[in-house]
Amino acid sequence: MSQALEDIVVVDLSGTVSTTYCAKLFADYGATVVNVEPSAGFPTRGLAPLLDTHGGGSAMHAYLNANKHSVCVDQLSPAALAALLARADLVLHDGTVDQVHAASLTMHISWYGSTGPYAEYVGSDALCFALNGMLRTIGHAEGPPLIPTGYQAQMVGGMTAFIGAMAQVLARTLRTDLAALHFETSIFESMLCFTEVGTIGFYNTGLEGHRMGINRFPPTYPLGVFPCKDGWIGLTVLTPSQWHTFCVLLDMPQFSQVALFQTAVGRLEAADMLEPLIAEKLLTLSAEELFYRAQNAAVPLARVPTMEELFQVDQFVQRQAFAEVEVDGGRKVMAPTIAFRLFSTPPRLGGVVAALGAHTSLYQSEGASSGE
Amino acid sequence: MIEQALQGIRIVDLSMGWAGPLACRQLADMGADVIKVESCERFDWWRSWEATPEWIADDGAEKSVAFNMVNRNKRAITLDLEHPDGRDLLLQLVGTAHAVVENYSGGVLPKLNLGYDVFKVSNPNIILLSMPAFGSTGPWADFRAYGSTVEHSSGLPHLNGLPEDPPTMHHVAYGDAVGGLNGAGALLVALRHQARTGQGQFVDLSQVEGLFPLAAHGIMQYAASQTPWVRRGNDSMIALPHGVYPCQGDDAWIVIQIQNADQWRALQALAAPFLDSIDDPAVVVRSELDARLSDWTRTQPAEPLMQQLQAQRVPAAATRKASELLEDPQLVARGYWQWMERAVVGRQPNPSPPFRVGGDLDAAANEPVGLQSPAPTLGEHNRAVLVDELGISEAEYVRLKRSGVIGTRPTLRGARKGSEGLDKT
Repeated sequence: MSQALEDIVVVDLSGTVSTTYCAKLFADYGATVVNVEPSAGFPTRGLAPLLDTHGGGSAMHAYLNANKHSVCVDQLSPAALAALLARADLVLHDGTVDQVHAASLTMHISWYGSTGPYAEYVGSDALCFALNGMLRTIGHAEGPPLIPTGYQAQMVGGMTAFIGAMAQVLARTLRTDLAALHFETSIFESMLCFTEVGTIGFYNTGLEGHRMGINRFPPTYPLGVFPCKDGWIGLTVLTPSQWHTFCVLLDMPQFSQVALFQTAVGRLEAADMLEPLIAEKLLTLSAEELFYRAQNAAVPLARVPTMEELFQVDQFVQRQAFAEVEVDGGRKVMAPTIAFRLFSTPPRLGGVVAALGAHTSLYQSEGASSGE
Repeated sequence: MIEQALQGIRIVDLSMGWAGPLACRQLADMGADVIKVESCERFDWWRSWEATPEWIADDGAEKSVAFNMVNRNKRAITLDLEHPDGRDLLLQLVGTAHAVVENYSGGVLPKLNLGYDVFKVSNPNIILLSMPAFGSTGPWADFRAYGSTVEHSSGLPHLNGLPEDPPTMHHVAYGDAVGGLNGAGALLVALRHQARTGQGQFVDLSQVEGLFPLAAHGIMQYAASQTPWVRRGNDSMIALPHGVYPCQGDDAWIVIQIQNADQWRALQALAAPFLDSIDDPAVVVRSELDARLSDWTRTQPAEPLMQQLQAQRVPAAATRKASELLEDPQLVARGYWQWMERAVVGRQPNPSPPFRVGGDLDAAANEPVGLQSPAPTLGEHNRAVLVDELGISEAEYVRLKRSGVIGTRPTLRGARKGSEGLDKT
């Protein structure tokens, strides 16, 4: 079966989380992605978590780099590199490399963008959460705010870059007369999609969101993660009818028709009073049973699986939400598959991660064959 | 021009809330003709899920910041899809489109006798992007969710927060926005395949699975070593000091992350004498280190402190309020906020698309992608789309208005039904 992007060639010159995640989305749909790595390898090869506590490479690199080619730039002739860049449909970079001029479509992914007073600032995922306004709202009311972990901002930046780049690839399929384009994505600006509504809301109302406590935030209550007798349940009760049903599910009908509790805002105002009552009830219930009973009654409750439970969730198993990725040496590890599935041209699920420079010889001949 | 990249592509946007409309906004920002379809009874629940007669009388449907934010650059029509005429007009519209996007609750489209197989009759090459929370296959395909439910189901809260607290969420409908980004990506891949081959297809997006990449650090740790994730609050395995420290003023904080000796020495110099006696932060008790650093940061206003630290290449950022983003120096310098007049609410700031021409290769051209139009009002483009483009007669247009198949004002009954029956997923 053909793959949607099988004729596309993407070159990643930088190997950041953002560039590799953007490129991964192309690779998942069949594009040839070429990692042009320094002799020390891409930064992602050292990224935590590692495959085991004694080393053995990066599990994050494995997740991000299945089904890609790896060439070692130090072993590639300048002519071969130039030929590769010239025939690439897209070149991804972080602004620290200088070979990109040869390409006709480039995407520069940086923390803050290439202009403005932050252009030279040091970036990180946590700093983007601070600057986009999210961090201030997470945590106990008295503080300090709590930093979300991992590489989340870089993933969002990579996804955003994919949208911009994919649109240009599409435009070049529709029209062949488009000029070369060098464009950029700022991870910070990508992260503003989460908070822009708060900013514009303040402009219109003068009302500012504030930190209300763990898992307590507008627009509603109950909302959050609560322990049950067999695990964690996630609550979101928004509409009046959902509230009425929730009261029935928790056997607390006396609250169902209380006037203050008929609106999401009213319940949020009364959260301190409601929370101990709800928490006490939930501790007596099975999260698994409550989840199905609620969903069957059209109330969007959910199990909150731990990382170990995640791999066993029937929904995810049936959908092949995780698949094996094989790393150098034959070790296999499960990793998430792509979230969107084109039914006629399905994505690759799992795959093989290339060793550093494994495909150098494949591209070494390019410069020679093109006469450069 | 980035804003014209997708000119000539038409998307029928049946989606509501945040995720689906945000997905379509990405394409509208780049020139796609996105036509949003609501009905007067079942309007986008992001206008309100608690509508009242007063809200309708006060033009509340046009005042939702959330709705207006994710529907710019689109056109909007109303069609009662439960009415045969409304359904027929939708299918006519699908016949002119490249793709349809929907994020109804499972079962809603079949109840309307709509779906991919029906759309294909009107347009054999159509793409249908379906964006249910859990995907359109599997035992949970018909289950409901909001953005918070999506976050719950992904397991992501287990990676954040303090060990003594419950798994901690991101305090926005995190799954919605991420779902929107994934939806845009999915649509573009399918459109590109359609452009190359002429073939449409069904596209299934699981919004929950869309959050797995953001939880990849926890997922891959367990996958590789079967080591459960331990929530550590603001502690880090790779940076010390690492945390959010109080600054001068009410609820003012700064993030500081020291990852190497150079950064530590730069911090030490700026913070003198508070950290003078510490040669190696790794050998100091964490709480003691944080306390001494906090003693210094409390004497400093956050914004200048961020500038001082960043000038020395120390990773640091003030924790902004959402209200401060309109004045953020970086966003102001880059012209990030674009201002447009919108009916009912007047002049409004709008965020720019997060990509722009230039990059480091052409800084002079580093302008944001221009926005074309604010969010449409309910049914604003009924005449333009139905009469001028689909070619229905003036008499038919009037008849549809009189029968309530189309209109420009919400009706109350749909406010309840809109939120209950057609919620996001």
